[in-house]
Amino acid sequence: MNYSLITLEVLAVLLGLIVLLADLWVSPAARKGLGLGLAAALGCLLAFAVGSLAPQSGSAFSDMFVVDDLARYFKGFFVFAALAVVLMAVDFAPKFGSGLSEFFALTVFALVGMLFAASANDLVLLFVSLELITVTFFVLNSFQRTQLASLEAGVKYLILGGVSSAFMVFGIALIFGTANSTNFAVLAAKQKELAHSALFLMGLLLVLVGLGFKIAAVPFQMWAPDVYQGSPAPATAFLAVGSKAAGFVLLIRLLVGAVPQITAEWHRLFVVMSGATILFGSLCAIPQRNLKRLMGYSSIANAGYLLLGIVAGSAGGSTAVLYYLGGYAFTVLAAFTVISAIANHVESDDISALSGLGQRSPFLAACLTMAIVSLAGIPPMAGFFGKLLLFKSVLDVAPGHPELYALIAVAVVGVVISLYYYFGVIRAIYWGGQSANLSIIPVALSTRIVLLACVAGILFLGILPQGLVKIADHAVADLSQKAAPVAQPAH
Amino acid sequence: MEHAAVVQHAVESGSKIQDLAWAILILPLVMAFGTAVLTPKNRTLSAAFNISGVVVAFLLSFTLFCVFGGQSADATPFHWLPVAGLDAEIGLHLDALSTLMLMVVTGVGSLVMIYSTGYMHEDRSYTRFFSTLSLFVFSMLGIVLANNLLMLFVFWELVGVSSYLLIGFWYEKPSAGDASKKAFLTNRIGDFGFMLGILAIWGLAGTLDIAALKAKFVANPALLGPWAGLAGLLIFMGAMGKSAQFPLHVWLPDAMEGPTPVSALIHAATMVAAGVYMLCRVFFLYTATPGWPDALGFLDGISAASIITCIGGFTALFAAVIAVQQDDIKRILAYSTLSQLGLMVMAVGLGAKTGDASASMYHLVTHAGFKAMLFLGAGSVIHACHHEQDIWKMGGLRSKMPKTFWTFALGTAALAGLPPFSGFYSKDEILAVALEANPIFFGVGILVTVLTTFYMSRLVLVAFFGKPRGEGADHAHESPSSMTLPLLVLAVPSAFIAWLPLGEFLSGHFKPGHAAHGGDILFGPFNHNPIAAVFGLGAVLFGFSLAYSLYGKSPAQDPLSSKLGLFSQAMRNRFYIDEIYDGIVVPLHNLLSQIADAIDRWLIAGLAVRGLSGVVEIAGRALRLVQTGSIQTYAFLFTAGVLLIVLLALK
Repeated sequence: MNYSLITLEVLAVLLGLIVLLADLWVSPAARKGLGLGLAAALGCLLAFAVGSLAPQSGSAFSDMFVVDDLARYFKGFFVFAALAVVLMAVDFAPKFGSGLSEFFALTVFALVGMLFAASANDLVLLFVSLELITVTFFVLNSFQRTQLASLEAGVKYLILGGVSSAFMVFGIALIFGTANSTNFAVLAAKQKELAHSALFLMGLLLVLVGLGFKIAAVPFQMWAPDVYQGSPAPATAFLAVGSKAAGFVLLIRLLVGAVPQITAEWHRLFVVMSGATILFGSLCAIPQRNLKRLMGYSSIANAGYLLLGIVAGSAGGSTAVLYYLGGYAFTVLAAFTVISAIANHVESDDISALSGLGQRSPFLAACLTMAIVSLAGIPPMAGFFGKLLLFKSVLDVAPGHPELYALIAVAVVGVVISLYYYFGVIRAIYWGGQSANLSIIPVALSTRIVLLACVAGILFLGILPQGLVKIADHAVADLSQKAAPVAQPAH
Repeated sequence: MEHAAVVQHAVESGSKIQDLAWAILILPLVMAFGTAVLTPKNRTLSAAFNISGVVVAFLLSFTLFCVFGGQSADATPFHWLPVAGLDAEIGLHLDALSTLMLMVVTGVGSLVMIYSTGYMHEDRSYTRFFSTLSLFVFSMLGIVLANNLLMLFVFWELVGVSSYLLIGFWYEKPSAGDASKKAFLTNRIGDFGFMLGILAIWGLAGTLDIAALKAKFVANPALLGPWAGLAGLLIFMGAMGKSAQFPLHVWLPDAMEGPTPVSALIHAATMVAAGVYMLCRVFFLYTATPGWPDALGFLDGISAASIITCIGGFTALFAAVIAVQQDDIKRILAYSTLSQLGLMVMAVGLGAKTGDASASMYHLVTHAGFKAMLFLGAGSVIHACHHEQDIWKMGGLRSKMPKTFWTFALGTAALAGLPPFSGFYSKDEILAVALEANPIFFGVGILVTVLTTFYMSRLVLVAFFGKPRGEGADHAHESPSSMTLPLLVLAVPSAFIAWLPLGEFLSGHFKPGHAAHGGDILFGPFNHNPIAAVFGLGAVLFGFSLAYSLYGKSPAQDPLSSKLGLFSQAMRNRFYIDEIYDGIVVPLHNLLSQIADAIDRWLIAGLAVRGLSGVVEIAGRALRLVQTGSIQTYAFLFTAGVLLIVLLALK
């Protein structure tokens, strides 16, 4: 067996342990330095994950763990997100009070969960890695212990996460009972006969419930606004980027990789889920006054857009999901980095508190504006091209399926609505009326670097999308080779 | 032969000299953003960056002009969105028109920028001025280089935006703010038609690539069938906006509220030229078989080109008449620009008959040079007279500002069309085309020449001769060399451009292999079309003697005003066009916007948006009522959701 495949994960675990141990010797004043050191280490890890030294393709642990292009794509993605989150937390530190190094360590452990999720080829590893993510987030979300809202966010995530895990583990039990295996490859081979077993389908649905919770899709989205609002900004960012992407990589592995035929049968379910998620997120965002809560609803709407790629069920759809997540990561990380950077200088998380930001820090204002514009899907930003790819993937399979045209119409309506609330944020930044406090907001060098990287990413992906599209194409190529071509349901 | 071999080599070897065009396009943009972001506080450095950007772009343009010398080439295109079935190409096309225009834009652009270091010296938004100028040059270069109509349209709009920023540069002045809005909105009307025209062509011909379109039109002149006339006119609407043709001309005189270097750049050499340039780019649309849809059947027998000729001719005459009774030095030049643009547009329309619009392009190039010089000269006068613009408060500036005077006089001679200065030759080509195509428009051309000479002589005689009539003129002294140097440089092409075979160079673009007139260039007009040349020269002399008889003795007031009486009043008030618009268009517009506002307020915002969000909000409140901080509700809804999807999936 090839143990070298989990090198990246082992290194990440070691990194987390080192941070925890280092805390014993590092003085509280120097903990920010610890964060910068960790960021540097994660930078090396990122180079390793995307470089040529990364583990070659293969599988290990009785085929539970696979490394392929898809896994490598997401591993690079997760490490980058963790790196940005750690730097964000350095800026956010004064709000934590104490326990900064624990926050760093937990972030790394959550990262480990995501890294395993990217390689999960078995329901057991899927469950374990998701639990590792969820459990660390219980703590990360309630990290501002003195704040009631933060504690409430943690508890809500804990309880609902518990409910969703319960459903999922029940589902896994049903699947194991009917299929005699939890391995994706085995499920893929048996999917034709299993498609007739109601118990198996029930089990699969319950696993989807767990994943639906992760990505915050309707009807499992209730937690998102409350938790996004209450959690500290760096934790929210990691939740929005890392945790959601982990959900999607598992959805792709399971739905597109393992059981594409059943996915095609459940066509209608995904159409409804996707449309409802887009509409719910977009409509509910309109009256929001709190920026993080708005981002919560925006994240729900984005889950809906991403589900379009699953609805398409094609390789093009999966490519679009991967591409969209790439752009989405830069965008959301940029937005939350700005939110973290101004957290110590503005009174609240309200959108109205952004007024005067255009004068207080033109740089932060410009970065947040770029991120918002990209979220709204305006060219030449990454968000535009991502949405274009997702819509196109659905349109490609739409002929003969009127409900898909309706879904596209709903998605377009969602985009139009989103323009309204996103531009409310931009209006607050530049035309937000008189702000009493016009003191300049200092921006740390590390924050500057993260923001510049994110903005460069947003623009680069929007203007020269070919590179990432090609990589994403490669990443999903294995998947579609493994699985039989998806047949659209005849009815 | 050696030259041709170089080009051949460049085209074949893939070394791609033409990719320099990308550098020309991008440089001003980089400088605009670079100075805005990096050196907003450092005036000298900002000016230096922006000037060097445009100067380097000029040198590169000159290189390309020499290398390609009228041959066409395409720079490596940039493919955006290369997803299957979708391709938004951004490509740059080089040929006689675009390389020449590149030199005009970057050449005048760099001189204007150098001039601005003197003119704008005391302005507190010095950096913003330079970076906006660079942005404008970038937009204009995009129009020049665009190889497809979509890209052309994008840069067309960018020119609209950057001209808005420049005209309204002194936004603290309400008149500047109003003028910039007026320019932008008037252009919107033209652009709307332009966009419709582009869509029509896309729908009918299936491509927006200019070269491909041209090939299609060559293969099948009746490609657009009955829509040819309408598509041509819609495209022309874009030119009407940018090149300020009647009735969309109203923005240009008001746009003089911008700083004078801006007037020189955008109202002489670039933005207003964009319309004419674009018409020459898509000239094949107007030589195609004319046709109209049934609803417009009454237009049968009239081509889009003849309508364009009429509009151009009318604008030329109309604006020249108004210019005769203007007192503001910049307004006189503004109306003169309108009039000359009218001539160019008229020449495009007339050229459609002969298949050669080179006269129009030729006049565009010469006009860009001497009109920029005249505007900069006017700026120098205004600067010296402490921002006095009324020519009746000037006088005697000839001895006080010799460099300004001599260049201004040279510009006047060129504009009037006195040989051997550039304007004579280019205007002569227009007159010759008119004589060949339609004698009525030859008459229009002669009349415009008389009027042009008259009002320009009036301007020079009143402002530069006689005694100072105002305090500003009394204390005037020559401007700094940063301002006079560009004037002197611009004097060179105005004086000597006729020595170059530019007309034939352009003619070769429209009619490859067309036999050149040949012979002596300087006296050429008198040889190949003596009637046009003699009449043109006679008109100049007549106009000047008329002006001299009225203004030669340096009167204190305009003697013409009392002679013309009411007519003079009408001319001074620009024939009340603005008032008519205020009376008809503005109330109509207000009514429309009120209707739109009501629809937006009650139907869209009220019913659609508020209604929907209201429903959602009510739903949200209802949820909040059940919620009351208890997580049980969430868990309950979660479970209900599970049941829901099970039902949906397994039913």
